[in-house]
Amino acid sequence: MKKEWNQYDPGSLYDELIAAVHQPREASYKLVEYLRHLTPDRFRQCVQESEAVIREMGITFTVYSDAGNIDRAWPFDIIPRIIPATEWDRTEIGLKQRIRALNMFIQDIYNGGKILKDGVMPADIVLQSKGYRQACIGMTPPHSVWANICGSDLVRHSDGVLYVLEDNLRVPSGVAYMLENRNITKRVLPEIFNTLPIRPVSNYPAQLYEMLASLRPDLDDPTIALMTPGIYNSAYFEHAFLAQQAGLVLLEGADLVVGNDNYVYMKTIKGLERVDVIYRRIDDDFIDPEVFREDSMLGVPGIMRAWKEGKVAIANAPGCGVADDKVIYAYVPDMIRYYLGEEPSLPNVPTYVCRREQDREYVLEHLAELVVKPANESGGYGMLVGPHSTPEKVEEFRKLIQEDPNNYIAQPTLSLSVTPTSCETDTEADVHRRADDPKSRIKIAPRHVDLRPFILSGKDIFVTPGGLTRVALVEGSLVVNSSQGGGSKDTWIVGDVVEGEEV
Amino acid sequence: MLSRVAERVYWMARYLERAEKTARLINVHTALLMDLPGRMEINWFTLIRLFNAEKVFSEHYERGNEANIMQFLIADTNNPSSLATSLANVRENVRTSLDVLPEEIWEQANQIHLLMTNSLPRISDRYSRQIFLREVMKHCQCIRGALDSNMSRDHSFDFMQIGKHLERTDMTSRILEMTSLLLSDDRSDTLRKYDGILWTNLLQALSARQMYLQHIHSRVEGQRVMRFLMNDNVFPGSVGYSLAAMGRRMRYLPDPEMPTAMAQRVLEHSQAQDVGAIPAEQVHTLMDYLQSELGMLHTEIAKTWFYPDRNGQQQSQGL
Repeated sequence: MKKEWNQYDPGSLYDELIAAVHQPREASYKLVEYLRHLTPDRFRQCVQESEAVIREMGITFTVYSDAGNIDRAWPFDIIPRIIPATEWDRTEIGLKQRIRALNMFIQDIYNGGKILKDGVMPADIVLQSKGYRQACIGMTPPHSVWANICGSDLVRHSDGVLYVLEDNLRVPSGVAYMLENRNITKRVLPEIFNTLPIRPVSNYPAQLYEMLASLRPDLDDPTIALMTPGIYNSAYFEHAFLAQQAGLVLLEGADLVVGNDNYVYMKTIKGLERVDVIYRRIDDDFIDPEVFREDSMLGVPGIMRAWKEGKVAIANAPGCGVADDKVIYAYVPDMIRYYLGEEPSLPNVPTYVCRREQDREYVLEHLAELVVKPANESGGYGMLVGPHSTPEKVEEFRKLIQEDPNNYIAQPTLSLSVTPTSCETDTEADVHRRADDPKSRIKIAPRHVDLRPFILSGKDIFVTPGGLTRVALVEGSLVVNSSQGGGSKDTWIVGDVVEGEEV
Repeated sequence: MLSRVAERVYWMARYLERAEKTARLINVHTALLMDLPGRMEINWFTLIRLFNAEKVFSEHYERGNEANIMQFLIADTNNPSSLATSLANVRENVRTSLDVLPEEIWEQANQIHLLMTNSLPRISDRYSRQIFLREVMKHCQCIRGALDSNMSRDHSFDFMQIGKHLERTDMTSRILEMTSLLLSDDRSDTLRKYDGILWTNLLQALSARQMYLQHIHSRVEGQRVMRFLMNDNVFPGSVGYSLAAMGRRMRYLPDPEMPTAMAQRVLEHSQAQDVGAIPAEQVHTLMDYLQSELGMLHTEIAKTWFYPDRNGQQQSQGL
C-alpha cells in the first residue's frame, strides 16, 4: 500500500495520524509503517475479513424506514485512529472535571438552585430546558450523582485542540460499538498489537457493573437490570450486548411492577423478585406513566415513587437531562469555576447565547459564517450551518432568532480534523484502470472524525481510554451519524514505545 | 429468571430442534426417492402430509413437484415449519436472550442466518441443496454443543431441554404417523418390495439407525423399529425417553405439579400399548392423540411458567 499512502494528503486540515505528507505523527508511526507495507491484496483481505466478522458477530444497528425496521451491518473502517497517551491523560482530567461540575449543577438545580440565586446563570434557561423535571425537586440520588453514564462528544479543530461539542446525559449510546470495534481490529490486524502499547478498553462492562452496584452501597449483592424499550429500538443490539457483557438482567418495562411496598419487582418463573438498580435505556419521559407521559407503554407505573423513596436506584437519574441542553452547555465553563473553583481544562466550543444582546447582535451580523442550534434538539435537527446553506435559509433563521432568541445559540463553523480512511475509489481515471488492474480499487483518503468518550460516575469516576470514533465516510461530509453515511473506527490511546521491547 | 426469557429460550430450543430435524428429513427423503421407482404412495408430497401442511401448501402452490415442495419446506416464510422460519425464529429468540446464553451462540446464530441467506437462491439444485442441508445440520449441532458444554445447568437450561424434548417427541410422532402407510394391509406391491429400505430410511431421518443396529441386534424390521422409536429407554430420540426426560427437567422448576403430572400421563398412555403389534389405523390414532396431548402440554407449560397471571390464554409464538 506504499503508493496509496504516498499519495495521501490531508491538505490544510488537521490530520490525526499524519503531520505532513509522508510524515506520520510520532504515536502513529508504527501503525502507518505497518499499513504501508501491506500489499493492496492483503489490505483488501483485511477489509473483507472485517466485514465478515461484523456479520458473524451480528454487530448491527437498526434503521427505521417505511419498509419496516432493518438491521444493518455496522459500518467500520479498519484503519484505527490514534491519540497519544499524554494528550489523552490531560483530556481525561478535563472530562472528569466536567462531569463533576455537571453533576453538582443538577444536584443544585433540584435542591434550591444556589447557582441561579448567585446570578451565575439566569433561572429561566433552566426552566425552559426540555429535560427539566419538576418531579425531581428535592431529590438527592446516591453520591449526589445524577448523570451516571455520560457520552461527551469531542471534536478537534484545525488549531489541533480538542473541544467539547456536547454532553450527552440522557441515554448516550455507542459504547458497545467501541468495544466491538476493538474486537474486530484484534481479529483483523492481530500482529500490530505486539508492537504498540495500546490501552485496553475491555474493562468497561466490569466498570459499568461496579458503578451500578455502587448506587446501592447498602446492599452486598444488588440485583441490577438493564431496561430496554425493546427489540425495535435502534440501540437494541447495544442493550443486549451490555447486559450480556456486564451480567445485567435484560428486561423491558412490561417485566416490572411496583409493589404496594414501593419496591420494584420483576416477573420471574418463581413469581416476583426485587430489582435494586435499573440502568434505563429509555428516556425519562417514558419511564413512569403515573408521573410523566400517560400514554407510555414502555414504562413502569409507580417507578418514580420507588426511586424517590430510595427503594430502587435509576441510572441515569430521572431529570438529569436538564443539563443536556444547548443553552446550558454554554454555561458549563462557568459551572466549573463556580462549583469547583477551577479553570476548565477542556475548552467548550466558543458559543454565542442569543438571549444576550451583545451575542445576538454578533450572531445576526455573522449568520452566514456560523452554526446555529436550537436549545432542545439533538441529532442535528433544526440546525443552520451558515457556510453550507442558502441565503433564504439564513434569512429564515434570522427571523427565528429574532422571534425567540432564548431558544438559540450559535458557534463558529469548526474545521473538524480528518484521519486516513480506506475508501473505494470511484473517480473516472480509476474506473478505467479498474478493468485491467483490480488492485487499484482501494485508496486511502482523509475523512472527518469526532470522538465520544464515555464517563461513568457513581462512587468513583471512570473514563474509557479513548471512546467511539465516528467517521463521515462521504468525502467532505461532516455527518458522522451511522444512519446517514457515517462509520466508525477503533480508537487507540498509544503510550510511548520503549525501543527494543516487546509489549 | 424472567418469565419472558424462559419463554424465549424454550422456543429457541424448539425451533433449533425443528430446524435440524427438518433439514435431516428433507435430506434423507431426497436420498430415499432416488432409490424408489417413480409412481408410488411415497413421493415428494409425503413431506407435506407429514407436516400437516396440505392446506397452506395448496394455497400458495399449484403443483406438488420437487421444486415447489422444496421451496415451501426450506425457503417459504408462509410455512410456519419451513427451515427459513425456524432459523429466523432461532436467531430472533437468541437475539432477545443474549444475556442468559453463552456468547458464541449469537455468533453461531448469525452464521447460520448468513448461510441461509447466501444459499436460498441455489436450493432448487439438488447438489447445492444437499450441501446446504448438511451445513444447516452441522450448525445446529454446533449450537447444541456449545450449549451443552458451556451452559450452567440453570433454569434457562431446563427450559431449553423441555423445549427440545417436546419438539423432538412431536417430530418423532409425525414420522411414526407416516408409518401407517408402510404398515397398511392394502399397500401396493411395489411398496412391499421396498419395505427394508423404507424402514432404514425412517431410522436415518431420526438419526437412529446406528443405535438401532447396536441395541436391537436385528435386521431392520417394522415392528422392532416401531418399538425402538416408541419405547426404548436409552435412545434419546425415542418418545418414551423424551417424555421421561421432559418430566425430570420440569421437576427442577418452581411449581411443577400440573405440567409434570400431565407429562407423566402422556408418557404412560404412549407406553401402554405395544406399538409393534397394533394395526396401521391404530398407529395413526395413537400418534394423533400424542400430538394433541403435546399441544396441551405446551399450553400447560406456558400457563405455569410463562404467563402465570394470564391463565395461559396467550400463545405468543409457534404453532
